[in-house]
Amino acid sequence: MAIELKISEVKMSAEQSGKWGMVIDQDICTGCQACVAACAMENNISFVGEVDSGYGRSMHWIRIERFWEGEYPEVKMTANQPMLCQQCGHATCEPVCPAFATVHSQAEQLNLQVYNRCVGTRYCANNCPYQVRAFNWRDYKRPEPLSNQLNPDVTVRRVGVMEKCTFCIQRIHKAQDVAKSEGREVVDGEFTTACAQACPANAITFGRVDDPESLVSQLMKQSHGVKHLEELGTLPNVTYFKGG
Amino acid sequence: MIKRLIDWLKKPLGLIAVGIAFLALFSLAAYGISLTQTAPAQPVQFPHKTHVGFGIQCLYCHPGAAKGPSAGIPTEAKCWGCHNQIQKTQTSALLQPLKDSVISGVPLQWVPVAQVADFVQFNHRAHVAAGQNCENCHGDMSKVTVAENPQVFNMGFCLKCHQTVAGDNHELLVKLTDCGTCHY
Repeated sequence: MAIELKISEVKMSAEQSGKWGMVIDQDICTGCQACVAACAMENNISFVGEVDSGYGRSMHWIRIERFWEGEYPEVKMTANQPMLCQQCGHATCEPVCPAFATVHSQAEQLNLQVYNRCVGTRYCANNCPYQVRAFNWRDYKRPEPLSNQLNPDVTVRRVGVMEKCTFCIQRIHKAQDVAKSEGREVVDGEFTTACAQACPANAITFGRVDDPESLVSQLMKQSHGVKHLEELGTLPNVTYFKGG
Repeated sequence: MIKRLIDWLKKPLGLIAVGIAFLALFSLAAYGISLTQTAPAQPVQFPHKTHVGFGIQCLYCHPGAAKGPSAGIPTEAKCWGCHNQIQKTQTSALLQPLKDSVISGVPLQWVPVAQVADFVQFNHRAHVAAGQNCENCHGDMSKVTVAENPQVFNMGFCLKCHQTVAGDNHELLVKLTDCGTCHY
């Protein structure tokens, strides 16, 4: 009985593409970094400062990647590429954690990071092909007025803990809570992630991928959608549009 | 030197000394544990049992429990709404801090009793909506003076109830035992 259940779960994860998904249109992304700032505000992300940033310890859950094509002087910049946790259906970070701190949420189909379990081996970050995990190398101090803008719905992480994009799971829970208190289901577009909300060009769309009527599902049907490093079998839940 | 000490400890006087040292350490540890189990000191010795005895509902003073994550602690204005009509408020020494607070406008600094760790996201509304009564977690308030915890709020306590409530409903069990339901 127990083995049968396990097999059916594996089948489900391979067939089902996930619950929450995102579509990012690189053609209309201007690279303004509003999503990066909004994410840091929403999720209590520390500001590491100049010195640690120089060591490559800067902490972002979303970043704008830039690439160049051609040789100098004929250099051409390609479209800006916002990179965040792809919330893989078959994540490479999950099986390597010795403390089971990065687990797959069966209810929300997201990759979770359980901060109180994390012991800081950094194995997950080294195994992530998208390099989207951030490690707290220090307890970064927040100057006095800044501590007042901490989001009470999100844990303030301490030193030695790995963290990453959660698809704003606190907003997912809040929307579900509000919907439940009003006796209805969560409506598509009722809420969105901080990055999608802040994007002035509306390049980011967030929603349910298992609902064929949602805006994200409609957009994903377009033929020029690309999922990054899909060949690794990670089943990412973020679709990118480029050169549409 | 050490050999002489061991020899002395083996004598009756030495054995008594070891016994006393052991008892002292044990009672210190017991005292330390008991400190973590006692309710913190409050600015006013608020008698929950008196208020519950008058038939005041929990949600009258802690209305946040039905609406959102935090149950909330009432402001002095809410206390004063009833207490300014009560003769005893003017004379009682125990209620002096409340009177001072209302006159000066400096809020009373209540100490939170029922707390969960920073990495736990608790929502009262969901629990009240699911039909849980306040006393299931906070104990019978008609029996205590200053609020105290009937048990430690740890994950075992939460999960035990979550599993019982979910029962055979597999979908609900997945939701209620998911890490991401409380930790994010």
